[in-house]
Amino acid sequence: MEVLKRLDQLELLVVTGKGGVGKSTVSAALGALLANRGRTVLLLEVDPRENLHLLLDTPPSGGEIVEAASNLWLQHLEPRKLLDDLVREKLKVGALVRKILSSPVHRHFTEGCPGLKETAVFGRALRMVEGHGPKKLRKPDVVILDAPASGHGIAWMAAPRLVAEVISSGPIGHLATEITTFLEDRDRFGSVVVTTAEEMPIQETIELLEAMEQRLDRRPELVVVNALYPSAPKPRRSDDEATRLWARRRAVNEEELARLTSIWDGPLAEVALEPIDAGPTLVGVVGEQLALDLRRT
Amino acid sequence: MDPRRHPLVIVVGGGGVGKTTLAAAIGLASAHAGDDTLVMTFDPSLRLKDALGVGDEAINEETPVASHTAGRLWASLLDARTTFDRLIHRYAPDEAAGQRILTNRFYDRLSGNLAGALEYMASERLFEVADEGLHDRVVLDTPPTRQAIDFLGAPERIVSFLDSGALRIALKPWFDDQGKLKATSRLGILGRNVESFLDRMVGLELLRDMAEFFQAFAPLFEGFRERALQVQDLLKSPRTLFILVSGPGSGRVADTLFFARRLTEAGYNLGPIVVNRVHPLLKPVHPATKTEGHRLLSWLGRRDHEGVAELRDLVGDSHPVVEIPLLPDEPTDLKSLSALGELFESRLDEELSGRGTPS
Repeated sequence: MEVLKRLDQLELLVVTGKGGVGKSTVSAALGALLANRGRTVLLLEVDPRENLHLLLDTPPSGGEIVEAASNLWLQHLEPRKLLDDLVREKLKVGALVRKILSSPVHRHFTEGCPGLKETAVFGRALRMVEGHGPKKLRKPDVVILDAPASGHGIAWMAAPRLVAEVISSGPIGHLATEITTFLEDRDRFGSVVVTTAEEMPIQETIELLEAMEQRLDRRPELVVVNALYPSAPKPRRSDDEATRLWARRRAVNEEELARLTSIWDGPLAEVALEPIDAGPTLVGVVGEQLALDLRRT
Repeated sequence: MDPRRHPLVIVVGGGGVGKTTLAAAIGLASAHAGDDTLVMTFDPSLRLKDALGVGDEAINEETPVASHTAGRLWASLLDARTTFDRLIHRYAPDEAAGQRILTNRFYDRLSGNLAGALEYMASERLFEVADEGLHDRVVLDTPPTRQAIDFLGAPERIVSFLDSGALRIALKPWFDDQGKLKATSRLGILGRNVESFLDRMVGLELLRDMAEFFQAFAPLFEGFRERALQVQDLLKSPRTLFILVSGPGSGRVADTLFFARRLTEAGYNLGPIVVNRVHPLLKPVHPATKTEGHRLLSWLGRRDHEGVAELRDLVGDSHPVVEIPLLPDEPTDLKSLSALGELFESRLDEELSGRGTPS
């Protein structure tokens, strides 16, 4: 119950995890869960390919904010566009804006400067929770960011600080500093780490938890262990290949889960593998499992 | 279509599909067949490093693996930053110029974080070892990207940046000896606007670092550009074969096809498509003993087999589709890695001889 109360209180929640662990499904399920608890939720997706709408049974938004379910909003962001918007906002003169935007210097600078895209995305999230959203959704209670799977999750959370250190003045520098302060605020910002109980994802999760502790002095609010195989029947000599494999996968899950819990004593949710393809039905089922688990913790 | 006939084999695919392990297994099989083989990989699991018997000493160094195979096996772990640094040492006109870049604050942040740096460095290293020609075969594992094609575009992006003229502007010395912004009339209206804009947006400090970086980097660019073009040629050469690895299940078929199409359309030589970690079909269970678990496992088996069938159907004869079953354990030693390599080769042989795999 404590975790749910904690999640209810936050304004920004970043969901991180390695590719292929079901991070988007968990993000959508968490979004639905908090929306059902009466929070107005905005789910932000930054992956180059738009996917979340498929999980929430809505048409692709084309970058617009859309309401996928009651209290549950969705938007697909392109960091490039956010940066261009920032130029428009600061310059205002049409001809100049066009020149800058078509300049290779600007293009390369925004592509190449590390941390800028992350800063732009967090900047958007911050503006939203501060009540500067568009008319149809002025102020969500909480923004859930489904962070891109590439690289370690820490890169996302550490980026604004990196930018703030390198760029100390000007609007981008100010924005980065503002976000850094926001991300340090335990009452406003939190994170959820999603993993499967397999060797590589658990290894990366352990490294991520250590890096968060050391570099950000933070722990995630919740670790979700997804896609667990069910307990296998007692082994028998007549078992076929598939049954033996099932037993072995379950054993690997248990070993890896034990490895995780030997260094993580914080909130943990276990989500079972379900015979359902990725989509709205799976999101619903995972949401129910999470809700049950979190009430128990 | 057969990696055993190509000196360069590049294993591509999305994150979490078992690409790295498969690349190592293919390399080991190649060494077993008597070819001197180098496996280059990113971020391998601890177990795979243990299986190969290599550690941090293999970062960007070709390290022999005690594989006792007919051909020697080497492993090298790729690291973007060290490769980048090495490149600068090679192309810098003198030691001092090299040091200026390596200690530049902008470079320091940039080299590890620059979009595409890791991808580019992988192809750069591939080119280096191909150029040296010390091995009969090189198997390259690629960084896990959602859009795995990004890896291939990296040399092209660098060339297009170098050709764009962005550098000519960036290279104009912006600052005088006192670190003050110089008069910029010769940059024209565009240069002035861009510069004053960047100044307002990010402040002079970063600009100063950037200008210094580009100035120090200038002598390197010609060599760098040449190199990027050569890498691009190498990737598209008929000597190079791509193996596309995908996860199981019909849900992945569209993604796999999309990527296969983009590869071939862009002129890369795509060989086998591997569907990895396919759940076996569960034998029917007596209803009395059937549990939720049984229902799940039969569903997974069916889902994965339908996925393979669907993919085979859509791919047709253009590429062999190789099905690799989910293994009870990830390979933890050379023996299990060899077994995986053998399995891959025998399944590929079945596909190539047109007999198809028994289901």
